[in-house]
Amino acid sequence: MRRSLVTNTLSIAILALSTCGYAVADDKQSFEQIERGRYLAAAGDCAACHTVPGGAPFAGGLPLVTPFGTIVSTNITPDPKTGIGAWSDDAFVDALHKGVRADGSQLYPAMPYPSYTKVTRDDALAIRAYLQTVTPVDHDVVADQLPFPLSIRKDMAVWNMLNFTEGFFQPTTSKSAEWNRGAYLVQGLGHCGTCHTPKSALGAEKADVALKGSEIESWLAPDLTDDKRTGLGNWTSDDIESYLKTGSNQHGIASGPMSEVIRFSTSAMSDPDLKAIAVYLKDLKTAPSPAVTAQAASTAQMTAGAAIYKDSCAACHRDDGHGVPHLFPRLAGNGALQASEAVSAVHIVLHGSQGVGTKAAPTAPAMPAFDWVLNDAQVAAVLTYVRNTWGNAAAPVSAGDVGKYRTAGK
Amino acid sequence: MADKTAGGQAVAASSSLQQTRRSLLATTTLALLFAPFANVEARTFGGVLPWIPESADPPTPFQPGGWHYFDAREASTMEAIVERLIPGDDLGPGGRDVGCAVFIDRQLAGPYGDSRRLYMRPPFAKAAATLGPQSQDGPAAQYRRGLAAINAYCRTTFANKEFSDLSPAEQDTVLTGLEKGTIALSDGVAGPQFFKLMLQNTKEGFLADPIYGGNRDMAGWVLIGFPGARYDYRDHIEKHNVAYPLPPVGIMGRSSWNQKS
Repeated sequence: MRRSLVTNTLSIAILALSTCGYAVADDKQSFEQIERGRYLAAAGDCAACHTVPGGAPFAGGLPLVTPFGTIVSTNITPDPKTGIGAWSDDAFVDALHKGVRADGSQLYPAMPYPSYTKVTRDDALAIRAYLQTVTPVDHDVVADQLPFPLSIRKDMAVWNMLNFTEGFFQPTTSKSAEWNRGAYLVQGLGHCGTCHTPKSALGAEKADVALKGSEIESWLAPDLTDDKRTGLGNWTSDDIESYLKTGSNQHGIASGPMSEVIRFSTSAMSDPDLKAIAVYLKDLKTAPSPAVTAQAASTAQMTAGAAIYKDSCAACHRDDGHGVPHLFPRLAGNGALQASEAVSAVHIVLHGSQGVGTKAAPTAPAMPAFDWVLNDAQVAAVLTYVRNTWGNAAAPVSAGDVGKYRTAGK
Repeated sequence: MADKTAGGQAVAASSSLQQTRRSLLATTTLALLFAPFANVEARTFGGVLPWIPESADPPTPFQPGGWHYFDAREASTMEAIVERLIPGDDLGPGGRDVGCAVFIDRQLAGPYGDSRRLYMRPPFAKAAATLGPQSQDGPAAQYRRGLAAINAYCRTTFANKEFSDLSPAEQDTVLTGLEKGTIALSDGVAGPQFFKLMLQNTKEGFLADPIYGGNRDMAGWVLIGFPGARYDYRDHIEKHNVAYPLPPVGIMGRSSWNQKS
């Protein structure tokens, strides 16, 4: 399969050379256009929702659990009956840009059109050209499984009026082209805010706290701003680039839902694009997270936590919390660890976690689960300790915070 | 390399070496001849190492309270015996207080008790110890008969007293006689063998991880200076003649893991 792809690629490349100058960008069947579309579809991580793990690519059917109910992703293969093969190009662009389907009905914002609206028409058409080349799959998906009254798609017109601003990405002229490319990718196709931006009661992203971190699917999508304590303030742009490309950097290793994003999306992105994202994120200055006073090392919880850390954690994460770069995450100065909610850390201590394996870093080191040896109070104690030692400062964790995740997320 | 060694073996080795070299040369030539036409392709194997969450298979911690195998009389006899085998003193608690009898009880109630993983059926013979037990009795059955025989001996010898009612000195006399084979036990129990089994199991209970019911508060490990279930000593390897500073820790932790309220 791979060989035939390589062979095809080669012959197409040779064909392209021999007919030098013939291929034009607006030819929907041009290799460059389809290849660009493939790249952009990866950058947009369409497959994350539209491909069931192990299933036919883009055939839909993945249930997406939202706070408002479950929505099932649709079939976006070119099958004319059950997919989007019969859609016009304009209809496809409108789905991304305006959040409407070919029949004119509203999409639910589980499809991140509030982000995709920023995608240029050219990029949208390239994705369309690529999707027309994937294997059509006859798979009828019943997307509407939301409870009444949300089951009425027209409701979304009201939601859009309140929460959705349609509009292509507008470059900021005072910033560099690289910064603008980063902003375009982060705000548009990357739809980073879908997870990382706190939501309003209606599930809309709050623009004033963009990318300040948010809880999603019982994980924490951490603060991506330049905040020193909870954000990426201690990361260089190289660190960000390395994280997105390989799944790890000198500070940490991706886990939870982000490891899938890296595996299927960012690790496939080009170095210049990752650099652009890093440049943009490093420039995200927002109001710093409210200051927090570290727990005193002498409290009963901290003392118990220190004993547990010494016996169960220090062998890998080291006594000084520095870990080992690319192998054992650094806990000292770790932004995600000091977030107001410790939910990701609770998950990882209870159930363990495997890092992401990428082409650039295939090892995918894993941390074992501790649910069989630590009770809720002990998990809370050790997390309170790591959140409040080596200069870290964050709210203490209670046994109750741990208990509710003991069976969840298994 | 072969010619430096004398003897037929070396000659044989050298000839097989040449054989291998000749055929290797031949295949290489063939391969070189045909390489331009062969479909040679390097393959990369990708993917991530398999990892299944919560696939650890930790030992099941013992459940405190009650006896699982011993009856009340056997339990009190056993507690008296382990306390004489490892008496408590000013260095620390003895066999009874660290739970050696509990440990043995749980072991006898489990797969060790009936030798579940061993072949325990006839034919039996008078054979060397290295050939394994020559009886269908696993340790559980041996303890049942052995403890009964010890108490029967004590009742006859010490005016109807059980082993646990004897003074420590009297208990030592019985145990010494058992070890040396100088006292005769009923029911065909071989004293020295049974003594050896009890001593072995008592030591195990004294030094095994507390998760199995003995070695309470890691008293056995404190006594011998064993730091327990730790696995990283890099910070201490270079510190010669300096005592290791950390207390022992069991598989399920230690008391400092819990908040002192």
